[in-house]
Amino acid sequence: MVVLEPTVLEEVPVTSYSDHPTLSMRTGTWKYLQPRYEDKLPPCAHACPAGNDISKILALLACGDLKGAGKWLRAGNPLAATLGRVCPHSCQQSCNRDSLGGALAIHRLERFLGDQSLQYSPQLQPPTGQKVAVIGAGPAGITSAYLLAQAGHEVHIFDDKPKPGGFLRTGIPAFRLPKEILDQEIALVESVGVQFHQNIRVGRDLTFEDLKSRFAVVIVAAGLHASRPLKISDNGQAHVYHGIDVLERMQTQESLSIPGVVAVLGGGNTAIDVARSLLRAGSTPVIVYRRTEAEMPAIPSEIEEAKAEGVAFHFLAAPSRIVVEGGKIVALECQRMRLGEPDASGRRAPVPLPAPEFRLPVSAVVAAIGETADLEFLPEDLRNHGGFATQSVLDGDFRGVFVAGDVATNSGTVAAAVGSGRQVAATVDRYLRGEQPLTENPVLPSLWPRALNHAQVADAQLLNPAYFLPEVSCPLPEPSQASSTEWAVNEARRCLGCGTCNGCLNCYHWCPDVAIQVSSASAALKIDLEHCKGCGICVEECPRGAMAMAEVG
Amino acid sequence: MKTVLKGNGAVAKAVQMARTQVICAYPITPQTSIVEELAEMVASGHLDSRFIKVESEHSSMAGCIGAASTGARTFTATSSQGLALMHEMLHWAAGARLPIVMVNVNRGLGPGWSLWADQSDSLAQRDTGWMQVYCQSCQEVFDTVIQAFEVSQRVLLPSMVMLDGFFLSHTYEDMDLPEPSLIDSFLHPICLPHKIDLQKPATLGSMVSPDRYMEFRKKIDLAHQQALDVWTAVDVEWNALTGRSYGLLEEYRMQGAELVLVATATPASTARAVVDGLRDQGIPAGLLRLRVFRPFPAAALRHALRNRKKVVVLDRSCSYGHHGAFHQEIKSALYELPAAEQPDVKGIIAGIGGRDITAEDLEEMLLLAWQDKLSEAVTWWKTLPETINR
Repeated sequence: MVVLEPTVLEEVPVTSYSDHPTLSMRTGTWKYLQPRYEDKLPPCAHACPAGNDISKILALLACGDLKGAGKWLRAGNPLAATLGRVCPHSCQQSCNRDSLGGALAIHRLERFLGDQSLQYSPQLQPPTGQKVAVIGAGPAGITSAYLLAQAGHEVHIFDDKPKPGGFLRTGIPAFRLPKEILDQEIALVESVGVQFHQNIRVGRDLTFEDLKSRFAVVIVAAGLHASRPLKISDNGQAHVYHGIDVLERMQTQESLSIPGVVAVLGGGNTAIDVARSLLRAGSTPVIVYRRTEAEMPAIPSEIEEAKAEGVAFHFLAAPSRIVVEGGKIVALECQRMRLGEPDASGRRAPVPLPAPEFRLPVSAVVAAIGETADLEFLPEDLRNHGGFATQSVLDGDFRGVFVAGDVATNSGTVAAAVGSGRQVAATVDRYLRGEQPLTENPVLPSLWPRALNHAQVADAQLLNPAYFLPEVSCPLPEPSQASSTEWAVNEARRCLGCGTCNGCLNCYHWCPDVAIQVSSASAALKIDLEHCKGCGICVEECPRGAMAMAEVG
Repeated sequence: MKTVLKGNGAVAKAVQMARTQVICAYPITPQTSIVEELAEMVASGHLDSRFIKVESEHSSMAGCIGAASTGARTFTATSSQGLALMHEMLHWAAGARLPIVMVNVNRGLGPGWSLWADQSDSLAQRDTGWMQVYCQSCQEVFDTVIQAFEVSQRVLLPSMVMLDGFFLSHTYEDMDLPEPSLIDSFLHPICLPHKIDLQKPATLGSMVSPDRYMEFRKKIDLAHQQALDVWTAVDVEWNALTGRSYGLLEEYRMQGAELVLVATATPASTARAVVDGLRDQGIPAGLLRLRVFRPFPAAALRHALRNRKKVVVLDRSCSYGHHGAFHQEIKSALYELPAAEQPDVKGIIAGIGGRDITAEDLEEMLLLAWQDKLSEAVTWWKTLPETINR
């Protein structure tokens, strides 16, 4: 276009005015910082020991795509319906919605989606011809087997119990986890080709060396199944039941009756499960714990439910002697304690009070003071190997041996066992394909509540009244929390999608340089770096923390 | 129609009758009731206008600039600190040649906090390119707001109309409101050559290199010179419709006056009685009220003051380290007269921060001047005596 230069003042426009667009001014050259879109790990997923991609699952659910959401949940997690019942849901505790109408009911949504997707049929990779043995059919073993079988490997699980499930079957009472649910999830694992060999105890029916010679990989996922011994005077030890044995016998239909007042020693999940199971069998359980409720390692909601059901608690009491008369337990003598300085676990340690012992009249004692691994079946060299309990690739004679679950992590939750199974499966798959192990998970920085721009959360964002309905209390049969699809979709819609761009266009509306490019409603947003001055308003105003600033170049 | 309104009410009524399309304002004492009344008119449907609420005066002027750029009739009002906060945007409004009308209710600036009448706020904005008019009565306030809309849209300069805080903003007077049809026929539609047109995308206010910037600035100055005639013309047209006019300057008993008080705003109305009293005593006193300060009516001032003996200029502000703004500008204008025709000019700074300027004060000032007893070029009127020079 020809621009005519004015020759007299009258021809000069009244103010600076140009029919050229400002695009010719490359304001982008001014910046030394520039924004970018960068999805981050939301706090829920960061807190999830099982490694669920929670925000993507919820995003699919929010769109009404139940099938897609279930598929994405099941892609790495065969035990979703189980976890939807027994997981302590740390995801929910870290939800950024906590102060904005309440945390999302992620736990209940997982159960809903887990139940919806029990018939899920995963896509299988072509067979690789590689064989994998897994010792232990607990959550870690099942998870790693499920994923490796989908990846095309031939997977065999060896387990010494009549039915697979490990602690899920023997340790978790049916009122928390119905066995039909577990059976259906195991059927799902079988459907991808995993072969279960039950009643086979490694070290008795076959040797570890056998397995090692027949399989390219052996995964040790044996769990913690040995009870810790009670450290009190020997008198009466013979009469003491062990927590996991009590649970197993009550789960596997073997009738076990312990009438009267039963002292359950310990503060973990086993102690709670034992007490609640005994209550259902007609006993009067009393939990005896040397610290207070705050130090109990059990899942807080389970403690609450046990209290609601009528389980009695004696805190700050350490058993010192079991009183036996006429071959029968008549009482438990306890030392009164107080809380002292924190110990290595960070919890305040119990310290005996200079007070006389007191007597609790009981007719039986169950010790549930923790479990350890029984690894006698493994070669001593392996157990002593420096990298043994690390989920990593071992060297030397033990190349091809991997350790998963509680034996490696000692974390004691199903979710952590699933997460460990997932991690080991990924390492094993790379190992079998001759690829180097990943040095680190390519995890983006987590998004913490304070990093989220709460001010930008639309007030109109759906707040689901169903969320505020009182939690259904836990009756003796499995709690009935039937979730309708409508409820689930509405609840999922409350998800802010922390750390994930969902095209809300807040950046576009705030950008003073009109440097956010929107091509279509569904296409990813782009930044016009030729005109972006690098002011950072878009990053500051992003309601989901899905943008980041970095120095140019 | 006869009615009784306070100064702020007269402003709101004028803005309503001018069919203002966009009001973008932030409340501040003593301007608040203007904004409140306008907001109520908009909310109740008595004024078909877009009322934009903002978080600061800087934003209110920015909003006015945006609205006025579309050719909308745009209004805002402020005071004191609020006007100071607008400063950057005031330059922009004038540079962008937008016919925005603003009322500033004169008030002192902190510290110490003052809510009362003081012209420091508007005089600090003297060089922003805005026209400035200082009003004396509620009727004049109404008439001037209407006139300002018309002058601004003819010369494409923004107007600032001043009321003394409380003395005028909150004082009720009887006044005459014209019929709405009279205002409709008086005000012409806004014709903005550079108005935003979605069909013809353009860049407004873009960067201008040194080889053209000066021309834009010179055009602002030329528009101000032209505006002197336009203010007069519009005042004449208004007079034809309403029988009221004010001029750039207002003369009172100036015939044969040898002692002249130059005042602005409400003290000028007090001064009328004082001048009458002095005349009764045989002293040839007169009053010259400066109404339009920007553009500056230098020629009219020279014409009105040449060959007078004594001139006292009253300032309700001070350009610290020098004189009051009116005093220095009037003196500089008179310097172009031949030496023999130049009056003796003295400045008095009074009424700062809302201190009352009484008839007795004014009479005393004029008598001191007449008796050659104002020894200093500038006198701070009746402040505490100096003790020690700290």
